[in-house]
Amino acid sequence: MKKANIWPALCLALVPFLPAQANEALLRHNCGACHGDPANPEAPLSRISEQRKSPEGWEMTLHRMQTIHGVQLSDPEGKSDSAGVLFQLVKYLSDTHGIAPAETAGLRYTLERRHNAVDIPEDAEYAVMCTRCHSNARVALQRRTEPEWRNLIHFHLAQFPTTEYQIGGRDREWFPIAIDRTLPKLAAAYPLQTPEWEAWQKAAKPALAGRWRVTGRMPGKGDFNGIMTAEAGDADSYSVSLVGEFSGGEPLHVDGHSVVYTGFEWRGNLETDSEHYLQVLEASADGSALSGRMFPFDHPERGIDLQARRDDGTPRLLAVSPAQLKRGSTATLTLSGSALAGAPQLGAGLKVERIVSRDADRLVVEASAAADADVGARAIVVGKASLPAALTVFDAVDRVEVSPAYTVGRVGGSEGSQPEVQGRFEAIAWANGPDGAAGTADDLRIGPVKAQWSVAPWNEKAAEDGDLRFAGTMDKDTGIFTPASAGPNPERKQGTNNAGNLKVIATVGEGEAAVRGEGQLLVTVQRWVNPPLW
Amino acid sequence: MKHLKPLNAKAELMDAANNPEAKAEVVAMQTVVGCASTTDPGWEVDAFGGVAGLCQPMEADLYGCADPCWWPAQVPDLMNSYPDWDQNAQSAGTDWRKLDAVFPKARD
Repeated sequence: MKKANIWPALCLALVPFLPAQANEALLRHNCGACHGDPANPEAPLSRISEQRKSPEGWEMTLHRMQTIHGVQLSDPEGKSDSAGVLFQLVKYLSDTHGIAPAETAGLRYTLERRHNAVDIPEDAEYAVMCTRCHSNARVALQRRTEPEWRNLIHFHLAQFPTTEYQIGGRDREWFPIAIDRTLPKLAAAYPLQTPEWEAWQKAAKPALAGRWRVTGRMPGKGDFNGIMTAEAGDADSYSVSLVGEFSGGEPLHVDGHSVVYTGFEWRGNLETDSEHYLQVLEASADGSALSGRMFPFDHPERGIDLQARRDDGTPRLLAVSPAQLKRGSTATLTLSGSALAGAPQLGAGLKVERIVSRDADRLVVEASAAADADVGARAIVVGKASLPAALTVFDAVDRVEVSPAYTVGRVGGSEGSQPEVQGRFEAIAWANGPDGAAGTADDLRIGPVKAQWSVAPWNEKAAEDGDLRFAGTMDKDTGIFTPASAGPNPERKQGTNNAGNLKVIATVGEGEAAVRGEGQLLVTVQRWVNPPLW
Repeated sequence: MKHLKPLNAKAELMDAANNPEAKAEVVAMQTVVGCASTTDPGWEVDAFGGVAGLCQPMEADLYGCADPCWWPAQVPDLMNSYPDWDQNAQSAGTDWRKLDAVFPKARD
């Protein structure tokens, strides 16, 4: 059989739906020849019936079926092309064999493509077994019967036989450990049937149409503030428009569609004139909130952390930007929310000098802090709306954390297929608190502040190899590091790549009062296997 | 092995990587989502948390990695999953720009 080497391009939300019963028929049509098991009413589609996965997990499974087993997806009624069939199968499988909201807790970093997350499990043996190639969440966002977890182990060894003789494999009895120790752990931790899934199947699923008040933050661009409207279409789909701006004034307007999988997994495909964004959001059980991340399809590292709250006419204060105010200073604050009315109250020691502008969504004020205003996080009130810990008053920055403290960028571009992966950093300011000592319980997190950015060799070896010269460029104002071109570099020793091991330095303040924080950036080579879940 | 002494810098690195304490460090080493911590020698990061010990330029030995699926989550393996991945790029050193990703890009 000829293999389907070219994966159909996806834009899942744009494909029309078929009714649910048709999708069951479509599943049997495309998968039943190999997976049909009519003799087993408990699991009528062998293997498929014994697994549950996230939408992305099912998407990867279908990709693998096409790539490795040569499956040609088709619609017997001729209504959809192969991409359309794939979308319908992902939707149907996610809805009927999905992962419940509670089962994704703590694991959404992979769905949200937070590739600078560190996820080494505490169980060292399990970590070496599973997470030396991929994320822990890729495993933990699946549920299987014990025989199915066994099949997965066998699959790994058959498909990737090197597993057994790489480091972490050859230095132990890999297969006995996998079968005798890892398998029982997986079967116990991630069984097919769980109370969470049983409850979620019975739960009413929220409708998500409406006007949404969106706030967020993007490293390098600052706070985000916008309005999203969602108009319901057929079968869990929505037409979506998001209009907003970053705190520096840069606008963002994206339009498109979203689909809700498993009753709560919002996936938006939205576009500007030049860029295609994905939204990976989780809907709250009551449908009042969405949270997650939005990022360009080709640049997951350039993401915006998003929170959205349905505007139902209730006065709500959702964010204050900036969320810090120095004692004895004056600043312009943007108070974002919905149905905002009434006077702003900043609390003792703070004063609204003047209201710059206001409407129901936004209140911009010029605020001043007295030199003796209480230090710490405080609630802000606008009329009937209040937000706890909305604004932090501080006296001085005692230390600066670079966030992320450790991350990986990748060379790219240079007419190759893989774009560069930037490092994006923020300076998180802290005060030492009343005891004057760093790292103690009374420390005050001031939050993200402006910094001057630079890079330096991480160690002597990096200095010797010229990493600073070759690995890329740090923008001194934004904290965005753009790696250099991919490919061998004849100017480097042995023509090596533009990789590098760099110290990332954030400097807050000037002169003797300047405070520095440091992080680490590894600039490394590209990867060509880029599924939704890493 | 305890009677063998490293004679140069590379041998010292190998010796350090081979002692039990260093091995424990390797296992515990933090790396980020999507980076292999199979550090022999490592795709993105080496056993010492840097990049100097990697096999680079990686194009020099890319197919030596892809053929035996050494980094199957990062580099398409030619052994089983993507046997035709390199068909338009006979020399990785000169043809690396022709190598494509194995997952979809967005529809225009």
